[in-house]
Formats: sequence, structure tokens, C-alpha cells
Amino acid sequence: MPLLETRELTKTFPGVLALDRVSLTVNAGEVLGLVGENGAGKSTLIKILGGVYAPTAGEIRLLGRPVRFAAPKEALDAGIAVVYQELSLIPHLSVAENVFINRLPRRGALVDWRRLHRMTRAVLEEIGLEGVDPRTRVGELPIGVRQSVEIARAISYRARVLLLDEPTSSLTEPEIENLFAVIRRLKAQGIGVIYVSHHLEEIFDITDRVHVLRDGRTVAVMPTAETDEHAIVAKMVGRDLSQVYARQTAHPGGVALETRGLSDSFLKDVSVRFRRGEVVGIYGLLGSGRTELLKAIIGARRPVRGEVRLFGRPVRFRHPREAARAGVVYSSEDRKGENLFFGVPVWKNATYQAIQVGRFVRYGVPQVSAERRAAVRYAERLNLKAPSIDADVYYLSGGNQQKVCLAKALLVEPEVILLDEPTRGIDVGAKTEIYQLMAELAAQGKAVVFVSSELPELIGNAHRVYTMARGRVTAELVGDAITEENVLKYCLEVEEAETP
Amino acid sequence: MTRLRSLLQSSEFVVFLGLLAIAAFFAANSPVFLTRFNLLNILLQSSIQGIVAIGMTFVILTAGIDLSVGSVVALSGVIMALLLHAGVPVWAVLLLNLVFGVLVGVFHAFSITKIGMAPFIVTLATMAMARGLTMVLSDGKTIFNFPASFEYFGAGQIGPISVAVVIFLAYALLAELLLRGTVLGRNIYAVGSNPKAAALSGIYTNRVLYFVYIVSGISCALAGLVLTGRLDAAMPTAAMGYELDAIAAVIIGGASLMGGKGTILGTIIGVLLIGVINNGMNLMNVPPFWQSFLKGAVIFLAVMIDSLKNRQREG
Repeated sequence: MPLLETRELTKTFPGVLALDRVSLTVNAGEVLGLVGENGAGKSTLIKILGGVYAPTAGEIRLLGRPVRFAAPKEALDAGIAVVYQELSLIPHLSVAENVFINRLPRRGALVDWRRLHRMTRAVLEEIGLEGVDPRTRVGELPIGVRQSVEIARAISYRARVLLLDEPTSSLTEPEIENLFAVIRRLKAQGIGVIYVSHHLEEIFDITDRVHVLRDGRTVAVMPTAETDEHAIVAKMVGRDLSQVYARQTAHPGGVALETRGLSDSFLKDVSVRFRRGEVVGIYGLLGSGRTELLKAIIGARRPVRGEVRLFGRPVRFRHPREAARAGVVYSSEDRKGENLFFGVPVWKNATYQAIQVGRFVRYGVPQVSAERRAAVRYAERLNLKAPSIDADVYYLSGGNQQKVCLAKALLVEPEVILLDEPTRGIDVGAKTEIYQLMAELAAQGKAVVFVSSELPELIGNAHRVYTMARGRVTAELVGDAITEENVLKYCLEVEEAETP
Repeated sequence: MTRLRSLLQSSEFVVFLGLLAIAAFFAANSPVFLTRFNLLNILLQSSIQGIVAIGMTFVILTAGIDLSVGSVVALSGVIMALLLHAGVPVWAVLLLNLVFGVLVGVFHAFSITKIGMAPFIVTLATMAMARGLTMVLSDGKTIFNFPASFEYFGAGQIGPISVAVVIFLAYALLAELLLRGTVLGRNIYAVGSNPKAAALSGIYTNRVLYFVYIVSGISCALAGLVLTGRLDAAMPTAAMGYELDAIAAVIIGGASLMGGKGTILGTIIGVLLIGVINNGMNLMNVPPFWQSFLKGAVIFLAVMIDSLKNRQREG
């Protein structure tokens, strides 16, 4: 009997089918790798198992018995513990307090510190962290150890299944080794582990089986030993990579936008160049400064030091409107939080930015019929699938929302287009269309910049790549030098060099 | 077809039906209710509340709130009364009153955008400060007797219609045109709906906030002018509780306290609904304590219906 099993698990959000009849099993003492592109449904699945979301249909079985979780606490009590990508520890409390938060042993009305520390030591020992003093404040620990403390807390609930969501995203190489040692120990104790990661090497290092999701569906389940990276990527993407990506030969023109020594509270001395006719990729892990760089360029982050030049002339945008007026637009990765206006129809969203720079406006009055015509034109050009341009963007799928974001940026008629994760969380079909659009825009002589966390799309679409880490540009890669190894090397090297 | 359906589903339409139902109830229970005199009276009573509620609509559209309006209306009245008694000409009093309204708005917007205070707290403080100043300046006494040219704005008639009503309707029309038809209007909705997206789209969000709080300040000054003229008196206790009626009217009219949703038309229907309830209950001799209770119950019902409707749509 499998330890944990899902049967035809389905989850819909308004306008999106996030999970489509996913059946998955984890056995005791097994590490199951869960892979898929961004938006494939991994997080949704994890959140359902962790009791954050309720499934729309299907069931979860733990040791053969159907279970239902109304809240994360219920999943924990049943023995399913999740360690999310963002750590949830409280930095100014001690390790012991964090591990047993909400369950501190008491003696009368007071906390029984001696017992608490003894219990914590036992848990830490279980995962091989004997060296950590339970009284240390979590904020003083290195990130890698904090991750292990988080796992200790999960284990302390007597978890039978441990879910790790991208656990290595902020870890260095030695820290990853430690984490793997912990996982192997848990495995030996008969705990089932679901391991979510973008990094395929890790999948091969630690997992026994791989479960591949694409667009919310299971596309393959295979023993790790019987497959290879190429096969997994092909399953994840669902087609041959050469068809998906759109990189064309570069015909770079003059420099459109350039920064020299751009610095602020986070960015350190960033110098980059974007040429006409070129697609430039920016790669970095979360918190590497990629979003900050684009926002600093358009004046959404202030104050900045250093220089920005647009077509050779020094400029200093104090507000995104000034950037848009000068032909530089930015499209945020956070569609809901920073880009679109939910509850508002497609056409108004599409022209919001354009009317700020005076397009479709006469004497302060927006010319609605001209706006609507432009929205229809872009809806056709971008192959937008919406009931009509009067539809509320809230109800569109992620991919179609992203197309509205692109229309919104393009209706400004910019020369320099800064796209922050334009393909995050959208389906492969829409991704392909966006890649083609970027290539087209470059062919028209625009400077196109896109931030990406996905190596294949970066390699497939960018003529040039800047890698960033901790607010710095760590490398500039051109043409054949843009390889997975190179990109990762330059993101990690700095991290290691800077870790004491 | 879709237009008709969207009209039928709009919050304004639902509230309008509610207004008709309540009016029909009062008409059936009071012979006086449907008389021309009474209907014009309701309109007149509603006009001062309405002017304040229009300003409140702008503020609430940006997810803000202005609790100071009642006190600011009273303070505006007392300031004008003192200026008039000091012999300042009427045109100059009108101008200074306008400046006063602008300054109140600037103070609010500055505190919110530059200092980062919450609108609720800032305007709660000015509510108390303005009321206090009103008492100080008037020494707690009512000030009477103004030139006829001043009283015209509150008590004058154009044919059968009061000047106050004309001011209210003209102001409402202007506000509706601005909100519906201009880039500024659209930016006000944008700031309320998603301030971060608004700023990244190139909207100067702070300027928009200055604008809406200044509109609210000016609305209070205008309401102060009409109220003082109509009563021929500036009372330090005038316009007590206006903030709550104004907020209620805006919300009944379909606006959301979360911002980005609402119209002037909805607000006007909301104001009329409250006006009709007040008037009808007086005609039916409902005891004052019960009046307050019933008014609250109607507000609750109106907002409840709208919330249920929205929940259905999203769920």
C-alpha cells in the first residue's frame, strides 16, 4: 500500500484548470521528484496536500484511508508536513521556540525551558544537526541551517510525508549536500518525501522516481534510474525545443539603452547595454536584483546613483511616466499585484498606460472608440482568447492575462521593452507565441529585454544574456556561450564566493 | 442586449429599485408624501448631503475615507459667518471659503502621501480638530444674519426649484463627466483598484490622491455655503454625523470601500434613498429613536444585497 496517494485530483480557479485529474503515489522510504515548468501545477498540488487549498474533485489517501484537510494544521496533524520555498521561521526567536511554536511545553503557566530544549535536541539529532544549539536565535543561523531547522519542525510533528518545495533555491553547494544527507536519513526512517525542484541534477542525485506535470496533467511517471535529463525536459515542455523557441539571427543595431554603474540600496554598480534589434535575457535567482534593475531604469525605484543613457543621451527618469514618454516601458511579472486592473475590461487595461502618455487622448478626454479599435487590433495580433474586449481580465487565463499585459506595454509604442518574467505561470502554447512576439519586435528594431527563471527559454530566445546575483551583474554571455552550465555557474559562483 | 443586461445587473439599478419600493411604501402610507411640495423638499434636504457625498465618492474610489466632512462643513459656515460680520465682501468670502476647502484637502493628502498616515486616522483627527475650532471661533454660539446675496446660494429660488438643488445637480453632473470621461477620472479608478499597477503604468498616484482630497474639501466648503445660506445661521453643531450619512450613501450607491468601484449616479441614488427614508419616517411620525434604528437597518440591507451579489459572481 502506498504511503500517500492522490486519485484524480483536480483543482480549478476561475478561468484556469490548475490541476487536471492528477494521480500520484509516494511509498514509505521513497523520494519522489515532482517536476514541471512554472505553472504546470506543482505548487497547487503541494498546497492541496498541505491543506492550504481544498481540491475541486478527487481524493487524497493516506495509508489507504481517504483524508480531507480544511486547514494546514489538519494536514500536519495527519502527518503531512510541507516546507515551502519561502522560509516561515521567526528570526528573533530561538531554534527551540521555532520548532515547537504553538506547542511549547509548560510547567504551570510558564514555559518549561529545560524540557523544550531537550525535546528540540532530540529532533535536531534525528536529522543530524547535533551541532546546533536549541537556544540560538534563528536569525543568526546561515540560510542552509535555517532550512534544516524548518525540516526539524516538520519532523517534530511526527510527519510521515515531507513535502519540500524548491528547497535549494537559496542554498549553496555544501548546504545542498547537507540537505541531501538529511533527506537520506529521513528516507532510512521510512518517511516518504516529495521533492519539487527546477534543478534536474538534484532530481537525479536524490530521487527514486520522477513525476512530471505539464499544464496541470501528469505526463509521465518514471523511475529516475531509467531516464535522463533530455527525456524529462522533453516531457516537461511537451515538444521538441527547436519548435518552441524563436531565437533568430541577431541583427543588432545601435545601443538603445545603457546603464553605467547603476547602484541603489540593492543594486551594485550595474552596467548593461540593450541594442536595437536584439533580445537580451536577464537571469538570476529570486532576490538577485533582476526586477530591481528594470524598475530602477524606469524610475520606479529611487534614488539611484550612476547613469542611464537612452540613444546616447543621459536620462534620469523620476517616474515610470517619464520613461514611457521617452519610449521605455516595463511590464511587471506580478500580473495581479502590479500590472493589471482586475474587475476592469480588457480594452481599458490595454490602453491604461498609453493614455498616460497622451495616446488616444484629446484635451484630457480619452477617445474611447479609438482605444477600442486599438485593443481589438492587439487582441488579434496577440491571438488573445477572450470572450470580447469587454471581458473582465480577472476571468482570463494566465496566458491571456499576460497577453493583455503585453498589449498594455506595446500600445505605448515603445522603443525599449523591459519584460519581467513574461512567461511565468502560463501554458506552453502562449509561451511560444510570446517568444515569437519578442523575436518580431526585435526584428522591427526594438530593444527587447526579458527576465527569466527558466534556463531553456533563456537559451532558446536570447541573443545575449546577463546573469545577476545579489544586485550585481556577474557575467555577460553571447551566442554559443549561453549554455545551462555557464548561466548557472555565474549565478552560483558569486553566491559561494560571498558566503563566509 | 448585453447593454440592457449590464444595466439591469448594475448596482445602481438595484438600488434604484429599492428607492422606488421605499417611496411606494411611504406614498401608500402618507397622503403628503407624493405632493410636489414634499418631493421638492426631499430634493432640497438631500442637496447638502449630496454635495458632501459627491466629494466622498472621489475619496472612496481611491480606497480612502474622509471622516472630517461634517466638521469641515460646520467650520466653513462659521468662518464665512465671521468674515461676513467683519465686513468682508461676499465675493471675497466665497473665494476664501473655497481656499479653505482646498487647504483642508491639501492637509489630508499631504499627511497621507508624504507622511504615510492612514486616511482613516488623519481625517478622524481633523474631524475632531475642525469641530473644536468651530466651537472656539463661534464661542459655541450660533451666528445669525447675513447679506441677502450670500443667502441666495442656500435659500434662493430659480422658478420652482431651489438654487441649492441646482448647485447640487450641476455639481453632480460635473463630477460624473470628470470621472467618466477624462483621463484623470480613469486614473482615480486605477489608483483605487491597484495602486502599484497604477504607478507602474505611469500614473502619478500622489497627485491623484491630492486631487480627490481637495475635491472632498471643496465639496464641504460648498455644502457649508449652501447650508449656512439656507438656515441664515452658522451653527457650531451643524452637520453633525454627515460623514456617516455620506459614506452610507456612497456605499449604498454601489461603491466599494476597497476602491476602484462606484459612480456619482449611484451616490445620488444613495443620497435620495436616505433622504426619502428620513422624510417618510417624519411624515409617518416614527419616533426619532426608531428612525435611527430603521435607517441603519436599511443601510445594512442595501449593502448586504450588493455584497451577496458580488459574492455570487466571484464564487
